[in-house]
Amino acid sequence: MEKVGIVGYNQVKLQSDANYGRYEMIFEAVRGAIDKAGLKKKDITTVISCTNDYYDGRTISNCFTVEVGGGYLADESKVEMDGAHAVLYGLLRILSGNHKLAVVWGGSMPSCFPYHTTRLYETDPTWERPLAYVNDITAAGFQMRAYMEKYGVSKEEVANVAVKNRKNAAKNALALEEAQNQNITVKDVLNSDIYADPVTELMVAQPCDGVAALLLAPEKQARKITDNPVWITGVGWNQETYYLGDRDLSGSKSLELAGKMAYNAAGIKDPRKEIQVAELYEAYAHEELIFTEALKLADRGKAPELNTNIKGDLPINPSGGAIGGNPPCGTGLIRIIEASKQLNGEAGTYQVNGVKKAIASGQIGMCAQNSILYVLEGGN
Amino acid sequence: MGKQVAIVSAGFSEHASKRSDVNMGELVSEAVEDCLKKVPSVGFDDINAYVNGNMPAFEGSNIPELWMTDWMGARNKPLMRVTTGGTTGGSVAIAGYYTVTAGLPGIDTVLAVAFEQQSQGDTSVGLASVAYGEISILNTLGISYDQITRLLSAGAAIGVAAYQATTYMNKTRITEEDLARVVVQNRHNAAKTWWAHLKMPNLTIEDVLDTPYVQYPLRYGMVCPASDGACAMLFTTEEKAKDMCDIPVYVNGVASVANESAVLGYDGGGSAQVDPSMQLGAIRSSELAYAQAGISFPRKEIDYAEVYAPFPNQELLWTEKLGLFEETTAPEMYKNGVTALKGELPVNCSGGVNSTNAIGASAMERPAEAALQIMGKASNQVPKTVHTSIGSGWGGSLNLITLMAMSDQPQRKWR
Repeated sequence: MEKVGIVGYNQVKLQSDANYGRYEMIFEAVRGAIDKAGLKKKDITTVISCTNDYYDGRTISNCFTVEVGGGYLADESKVEMDGAHAVLYGLLRILSGNHKLAVVWGGSMPSCFPYHTTRLYETDPTWERPLAYVNDITAAGFQMRAYMEKYGVSKEEVANVAVKNRKNAAKNALALEEAQNQNITVKDVLNSDIYADPVTELMVAQPCDGVAALLLAPEKQARKITDNPVWITGVGWNQETYYLGDRDLSGSKSLELAGKMAYNAAGIKDPRKEIQVAELYEAYAHEELIFTEALKLADRGKAPELNTNIKGDLPINPSGGAIGGNPPCGTGLIRIIEASKQLNGEAGTYQVNGVKKAIASGQIGMCAQNSILYVLEGGN
Repeated sequence: MGKQVAIVSAGFSEHASKRSDVNMGELVSEAVEDCLKKVPSVGFDDINAYVNGNMPAFEGSNIPELWMTDWMGARNKPLMRVTTGGTTGGSVAIAGYYTVTAGLPGIDTVLAVAFEQQSQGDTSVGLASVAYGEISILNTLGISYDQITRLLSAGAAIGVAAYQATTYMNKTRITEEDLARVVVQNRHNAAKTWWAHLKMPNLTIEDVLDTPYVQYPLRYGMVCPASDGACAMLFTTEEKAKDMCDIPVYVNGVASVANESAVLGYDGGGSAQVDPSMQLGAIRSSELAYAQAGISFPRKEIDYAEVYAPFPNQELLWTEKLGLFEETTAPEMYKNGVTALKGELPVNCSGGVNSTNAIGASAMERPAEAALQIMGKASNQVPKTVHTSIGSGWGGSLNLITLMAMSDQPQRKWR
């Protein structure tokens, strides 16, 4: 595929209760991205937003975000999935040649709504929803159990992921304060409240308030706008079947296929050697392990053995990942921004050395039913 | 740089007030089957990606694509969900176009599906929540809930459409009879469209004017129904399209532009000054789409139009704003039969949204019907040959307009 440039990005500080308006937050994110790139409102030709009517508690949740998101009299649309999927639509629009600058923003304010209750509306309305035994949390419990049983992975190894991400988040000033913990131990994670056995509270990426924005431009314009654009060289997305009983929860078919498509587009043959850092949207600690394997960064069942610390063999989620703060509709977008920061050397205290190629993923649905993966490259 | 995109097929489910014989997934599968039936050489294996959408609040299911994956044949395929309110169908069709034109490796045939099963929930409650945010702010300014509901959200979409109708009537000096005439034309057309909802072959202007007001000037008989239904469109590249069907319809221009967001606006001020019949979004959308399609004189070059209009005043307004008629002349055109089936510029020969409104699907049914008219496969086919047609969508709070311009000839000039 033709490469598309990421020419700017901005993210607001993630907060558990932001206590200021959704629209102000969107404006802060989008205006910040445009300002940082040295652009003006008139340069925007298309805007793709990412919100969810259920999360925002209103029908047509993008209706009143037109002005604050820079969409006034611009060609605009909304993707109701993860922010990473909104970037996909922005990318498609740029590749069409119809547009020269796309603004993509996504985010939400779960301090205003019960996140896990709204997730219940994703379940089958006839068989699953009335009893609510199957919901996003219990599904994660099934997923973690399936993974542990199949490969003999221990709870401690899963808890390690939560520990690593929460320690990483402590270095990221924009991460959720409640998720930042320099001194957390595996014991703390395992002793926290049980959400759905074996998933405990500290293994969950807690929903929080936040909005992020990203600017995309075709290669030629990108070079004019900035000296160090980040290039999207590959993208893949995929949806697997719905019913949990029809799926192998110990792996992620959707991300595996998405990864295959993205690697193919970017010409990556051996991801383990070619990729220096990964930012994955892990809604739960065990998902990071499953995704690592689905993306061929580790053999099946061997992800816990991989050293994924910032200074490790293959750093995963040096920013703290989704466990470091999970604004619905914004998390996947933030993963792309964090991967871009790594490529630009802007990650500061959690910078990984020598990053040339990075990957970033997004997901929606129970046990990541629909996944998306980006391959990003730096340099000219 | 952007591949030329073609529509090779479009399909519909049967529409009715209550399709309680099917669930959402089955409803969608009806449209998908009808779409693929028309192109026998295409199977599910040939479809590389999906685009999908509806208005989730109306059925009470969030991201319903997740559980209806298998009903569309989307298992283990790339799927993207696009929703923009009333324009959802139009936005999904446009996203289908972009997915093909982007030319990602391995993706050339895309199935776009839009649907709504309103009988599963309460549409008016869903629509009222569009206004709630503003209502709470107005409450803090001392304006009572009672006054606001009566003014704005009473009757959901009709509440705001009535403003648009009166401002438009003020400019054009038309009567309710002119509005009723549009309704009669639509319902007569619907009677000849197999999938349409309100089929009334014998409806007269007097019948329409005999029904009570919902909100002045809109009477019960003028208002769109609430339907259950789905629509599917198949997009592919120019090269593949020629093998799939006899007359591929090329998508030459797309746009979806929003004006300021509301009659009231976020903070209850500022935007309230916007005249809802001014429609900057529609004007800008048509500028963009026509420029891409190389249409310089829309009135002369466009042979057929499907305009999204749940209410008759909107059909008059948008035919003008989309450049099909001079400002304020649309009512005259309807009177003279210009927009009738056998007229010079037939409009909404499917019966339009006024006769069938499965909200999420409606804005896709417009380009779908406009494409079928070019192929010569529409249910209520116009007698003249259609070379160029448009399909529009309306959504948001009177402000977002989607537009797709199609032709039997590919357009490459603009690049």
